[in-house]
Amino acid sequence: MIDRLTAALQGSRADFTEIRVETSWSSAVTVRGRRLESATASEDQGGFVRALNRGCGWGTASFTSLDQLEAMVVRADELSRAVRLERPIRLAPVPPQQAEAMLDLDGDVRGVPLAEKKRLIEAYNGAMLAVSDRIVDTLATYRDEVSEYWYANSEGAVLHELRPEVTLSGTAVARRDGTIEKGLESIGLRRGWNAVQDEAAGFRAAAERAVRLLEAPSVPGGAYPVVLDPELAGVFIHEAFGHLSEADFVYENPQAREMMTLGRRFGKKVLNVGDNGAAPGLRGTLPFDDEGTPTQDSALIREGLLVGRLHSRETAAAMSERPTGNARAISFRHPPIVRMTNTYIANGRGTFEDLIKDIKLGVYACSAFGGQTLLENFSFTAAYGHMIRDGAMAELVKDVVLAGNLFQTLDRIDHIAGDFRWNQMGGGCGKGGQYPLPVTEGAPHVRIEEALIGGDVPA
Amino acid sequence: MIDGLLELARHRVEGGGGADALERRVERTSVAFEWGRLKAAGVTEEAGVNLRVLHRGRVGIAGTTNVGVGEVGALHAAPLLERALASAELGEEIALVFPAPSKLPRLATHSARAAEASLARLIEIGRFLLERLAREGCQVNVAIEREVAETRVANTAGAQGTYRSTGVAVSADLWRIAGDDVLAIGDALEGCDLPADDALDGVVRSITTRLDHALRIVAPPEGALPVVFTPAGLSAVLLPITQGLSGKAVVQGISPLGNRVGEQVFHAGLSLTDDPLAPGRTASRPLDDECVPSRVTCLVQGGVVQRFVYDLETAARAKTESTGHGQRGIFGKPVPAYTNLVLGGDPDSRRAGAQHAAPLQLGGGLLRDITDGLLVDELIGVGQGNVIAGGFSHPVALAYRVERGEITGRVKDAAVAGNVYDLLKRIGGFGSDARWTGSRYAPSVLLEGVAVARR
Repeated sequence: MIDRLTAALQGSRADFTEIRVETSWSSAVTVRGRRLESATASEDQGGFVRALNRGCGWGTASFTSLDQLEAMVVRADELSRAVRLERPIRLAPVPPQQAEAMLDLDGDVRGVPLAEKKRLIEAYNGAMLAVSDRIVDTLATYRDEVSEYWYANSEGAVLHELRPEVTLSGTAVARRDGTIEKGLESIGLRRGWNAVQDEAAGFRAAAERAVRLLEAPSVPGGAYPVVLDPELAGVFIHEAFGHLSEADFVYENPQAREMMTLGRRFGKKVLNVGDNGAAPGLRGTLPFDDEGTPTQDSALIREGLLVGRLHSRETAAAMSERPTGNARAISFRHPPIVRMTNTYIANGRGTFEDLIKDIKLGVYACSAFGGQTLLENFSFTAAYGHMIRDGAMAELVKDVVLAGNLFQTLDRIDHIAGDFRWNQMGGGCGKGGQYPLPVTEGAPHVRIEEALIGGDVPA
Repeated sequence: MIDGLLELARHRVEGGGGADALERRVERTSVAFEWGRLKAAGVTEEAGVNLRVLHRGRVGIAGTTNVGVGEVGALHAAPLLERALASAELGEEIALVFPAPSKLPRLATHSARAAEASLARLIEIGRFLLERLAREGCQVNVAIEREVAETRVANTAGAQGTYRSTGVAVSADLWRIAGDDVLAIGDALEGCDLPADDALDGVVRSITTRLDHALRIVAPPEGALPVVFTPAGLSAVLLPITQGLSGKAVVQGISPLGNRVGEQVFHAGLSLTDDPLAPGRTASRPLDDECVPSRVTCLVQGGVVQRFVYDLETAARAKTESTGHGQRGIFGKPVPAYTNLVLGGDPDSRRAGAQHAAPLQLGGGLLRDITDGLLVDELIGVGQGNVIAGGFSHPVALAYRVERGEITGRVKDAAVAGNVYDLLKRIGGFGSDARWTGSRYAPSVLLEGVAVARR
């Protein structure tokens, strides 16, 4: 394959050409209640060519028939030439890499029969159903993928990688009369079959939580000191801040550039935020991004001040900064765009107890059902919460919705604990029609001195 | 193409089974203007086959993009069939019946003008929008995508259909950042043909009208108030209803509408129709992805629930007939899905109108009698939480205050909440501004007593 790619690159007339080819094998088994919903195995393959000429824009071609590779190299060049630009596109320099990176498959999922995968997910689904007869419905999904990946560009980069992925997810629905509550479990790893053999406890805990929430009161709406658990804090920093740090949002928009000026204060001194595509063993981790740039740990906020952003080669050149290895594509069907990898709030000091000990009345918001950020506003639904009373964790509460303004909320983070952890969840990030991109978030417990909880509105 | 594959499957399936398959070949051409300038042009060529077998009474599924050029030869067909059979070994027993051949409705899904439009023509459309949307202090993104596809579906019972289709999607977003106030206003056009200049002008007017009203920020009102949802803003209101009308939710026993066919559930002015035969729309097709001929399905008429949408599998489980709503991709199994949803009192009104009537007057005449209320164009977090139960609570992304019949400015930091099963019983009126938003045709709708809160 590498020889084919190098030959095709030599046939290109463009000033810069890059080719990605991927073949992936995936399987998925879904169980709902006591019924198998589907069990499938799929094979997907294709390529992507991107070409750039001086004074011209990008020309791209994606295709599922690899016989078309040489023809597509020609098409991409023609398309680039058809896009005339006044201001040229420049690419920040990256030393061309040559590497074979075969990640640990940790039990190659391709060698495991579909029936075995069905048995595994049925066992986890069974663990949810066995919790209580109040569990009226469940949904459990096993999914795996191994993809073989080739990248080459006309500057001499040549990469060949094998990337595994395995995800499990479970939803338990509990019902008592007219009340319905949900518990979720989600695991996502850049590993294989061996890594998901002992996960029943998490599924059981999700179902138990759904049952307990049936008895829990709704949180009374209002402004409180709020402590986020590491999972919700991770989702928060990804959604509410991470997307703004993607340089394609700011690089050609003067007003956005001004809003995101390096050195601007975003938070108090305790706040440190980064994105680390090179952190070992995580779902958002890869040795190189989809432009062949090595991944790295990039500081974004240091002691409350904006110090960096995430770049592709193009956005880095336009802002006279350095590429950070954040140009990513979800598959050969898409061009690489600026994306996060593993985004985190760095460790602070002390314990969870230190965060809550001087809170008289507050809310401890845990895990996430979902969240959306639109411009500077966000809304997150925690999976569950606890009231904090007189410095201690008190009763379980539900319907915990956290909404607010991003700038105000970041600035109100006043205490960060020293109990950092990565959240190894499934799902993924969506942007520009590319979903789900494997990413990870991580954080310690985080305290916001005041935030609005509820979303319950006077009827 | 897939006929060889089905022939192979016919000899392998046991127990009176069968098979059906879909093959789709798509070529897409796209042009992107980023922050006001032309940035990239691209093509996508994609082909794939999705195969379903009924083997020993059990259903199996497999998909591949490894189909080569031209015929799906024995080389690619054999492993695909093996994977589908392996999937069926695990599958649940189901009394799936593949439909017999039948006459298909005549429907134009292909525009030669769209299929043959040059790259230069697509770029010209983008420039047309950019020039008219340019504003001091604002940035504009425009994307144009043209798709040409060929779809073939067939089954071992002899039913089959092949059609070519085109689709052109044009979208524009205008961004205005002033300090920490970020405002984004967008609109899009979609159809089988290239958009005419007056339709593009409509996009420009739709964006600039909403921008002009958004420049002034006012305090939000509070309380149970009249709220007008624009055709785009209606998503949060309609999502619970469309989820509840899906045969899949009915079969699972989670639809609040499951046992209410024939009942007056909504205001008598409310009708909802699924129309796969609407001319010029990209979701229209002569048959669904399971060989069932397309026909119009009336879901709600005069506020009374009429029927649900089914694909073959959910219909078999519900012991009823497919309504022709099977939709399948290259990977995974078919699912019931809507085509073109039409909301309003008169389901035939769309035939006469343009594909995109621009709202020169926001609210379509519904604002006149409002003393104090809101006009909601976009909400945050639609689709999160327990949607099907009908309750919603969302911060606004783009909304305007209405006082004494007029828009007085944009509101920020406000949230709207309610239950659509209550609110749709007392609809205050339908606007005169019905238009397509993606594959939904709807006017603005005035709902009374929506809870509005300040944050």
